[in-house]
Amino acid sequence: MYSDLLHALPDVLAWTNFAAVVIGVIAGIVVGAMPGLSATMAISVLVPFTFGLEPLVALGLMAGIYNGAMYGGAIPAVLLRIPGTPAAVATTFDGYPMAQKGEGGFALQVAVVSSAIGGIASAFALMLLAPPLSKVTLLFGPSEVFWVAVFGLASIIFLLGGNPVKGLISACFGVFVSVIGSDPIYGNDRFTFGQLEILDGIHIVILLVGLYALPPVIDLLETPLKTGVDNSKLGTEPIWKAMPRMKGYWKTWLRGSAIGIWIGILPGAGGSMAAFMSYNEARRSSKNPDAWGEGEPEGVAAAEVANNADTASALIPALTLGIPGTAVAAVMLGGLLVHGLQPGPMLFRENPDIVFGFMWQFLFGAILLVLLGGSLATNSFARLLNLPRPLLGSVIIVLMLIGVYSIHGRMFDVYLMLGFGAIGWVMDRLKFPLPPVVLGLILGGFAEENLRLALRIGRGDPMILFQNTTSLILVALTIAVIIGPTLKKRFINSRKTA
Amino acid sequence: MTDHPKNRLLRPETLTALGIVVVAIGFLFPTSELRPISALLPAAMLIGLIVLAVALLVTDQRKASRDEPSAAMTKSPKRVVSAFLLILGYALATDFIGFYVSTTITIPLVAFAFGYRNPLGLAIATVIVVGTIWAIFDFGMSQDFPTGRLWGR
Repeated sequence: MYSDLLHALPDVLAWTNFAAVVIGVIAGIVVGAMPGLSATMAISVLVPFTFGLEPLVALGLMAGIYNGAMYGGAIPAVLLRIPGTPAAVATTFDGYPMAQKGEGGFALQVAVVSSAIGGIASAFALMLLAPPLSKVTLLFGPSEVFWVAVFGLASIIFLLGGNPVKGLISACFGVFVSVIGSDPIYGNDRFTFGQLEILDGIHIVILLVGLYALPPVIDLLETPLKTGVDNSKLGTEPIWKAMPRMKGYWKTWLRGSAIGIWIGILPGAGGSMAAFMSYNEARRSSKNPDAWGEGEPEGVAAAEVANNADTASALIPALTLGIPGTAVAAVMLGGLLVHGLQPGPMLFRENPDIVFGFMWQFLFGAILLVLLGGSLATNSFARLLNLPRPLLGSVIIVLMLIGVYSIHGRMFDVYLMLGFGAIGWVMDRLKFPLPPVVLGLILGGFAEENLRLALRIGRGDPMILFQNTTSLILVALTIAVIIGPTLKKRFINSRKTA
Repeated sequence: MTDHPKNRLLRPETLTALGIVVVAIGFLFPTSELRPISALLPAAMLIGLIVLAVALLVTDQRKASRDEPSAAMTKSPKRVVSAFLLILGYALATDFIGFYVSTTITIPLVAFAFGYRNPLGLAIATVIVVGTIWAIFDFGMSQDFPTGRLWGR
């Protein structure tokens, strides 16, 4: 089972594939360091540019960006108390007070080492857990695959938190977009209104760029933040000199990694939840909890190790079942589809070198964080905070247009992307979750095809969907995911009133 | 958009819910022309959208009756509208007058309009971005960009 993992290693070490990870990590740190930009946005903008690239080059870029951005978010969190990414909120609690005391450099070094450790642990979890899970899913037939898709959608809607009605609307919208184009079995047009451009359906990249890249650009232009960092106050020393001061954090790293990996696997949770949980647990078990929030370096370690530990692990359900654990994983699924890699059990059988190579790239991306995010680079990355946001916004607009236009070489896709962007902005402002839309688009067609196939096998009898144990387990899990949060809420309320 | 609208029907969530209902009903008509099995999933989603949007509408109107403030869309509506219009204008300009001309105008225009007023910085950034795009995409990857419908190309 694991021999494919070793076979994939030489390909990953080819210089083009390795260089992609290096470039990805640097780009990820840059993106993460810019408040308002995120890994999700960066990967959405990147995906269309990877069409002509080898899959491992494209995936290496994505893995690098994901790892880099999760650390990059710590830079403004420490220096300005503005989390670069949502996952870096908990980093501000102790990182910013450290910067105020002139220990910003050490805070960033703790952040980078902790991020790397979390990323490495997460990559190992992916390598160890995904292959056996993929073997189990090989046994699935059309009805089980249909229920996996339903379970995936239900998980991301109901476990994401927030308003379930809005989550359901997002999912229905995503599934509806997936049915636009030719019917997969009969070939008749559905909702194309004579537009030949959408006969093959709506390309996932158009939706991704619109939903995930346009709203942050509008944010950049809407609120001009005045950011300015005096690098002379960072107090940075070489990272090898700072490392001995961190040796006492190993328990926090271990605990935070376990929390991050677990949260990453759970669909709908995410880096911010992992960071908060890890921070709280580390503080609870600290001998000196009163110092937390006043500039305790272990607080930075706890938050950063966990938010990076949920990166690769979020891909465990994504690669094996097609259910992403986080929004970034959902966008990465889109990136895989662009290269003809359909997530699921067959991915491991048909493209072992690519899927296992991708796992190695996550590991190398995490290791590279220490080398690239070390003392010298930290100073350079901190300077990024002085980049003017309106200029950055205008450059991203150009990149979005190029990326979407390049898919088919037509402006129709650009207008379509702008339409999705406007919808995405409204959804974002009204707190409609965006991951269910992407997952709806990915799983909608998949679910429909398998549902229709199952019904054909059962000669139109819908009971075929409930005729085996795996299907029934998946139905039960789906029901549990739907009613679980409501029951939990009632339980908490009843305990409060008691 | 920033203040809470006096008219209950102008609350952002209510307007969104009404919009979803209208659009979903509009899309339901073409499903009648499809084979039942082809129409199954889209019709289910559209009906689901209508039902959920009505639920959203009712919830928001209940909040309105309790004088709860509506979700704020933006603090600076003018900036948001301007940003959208500039992006749309850039797409239209690319389509009609060509990619390089419109990009050379858009980068400094957007940055200037939204607060970055350093002429040298604008000029350098525009040259770097447009030059890099040309070197990578046009020269390196032979990628064709729109040359402008107005010029008949």
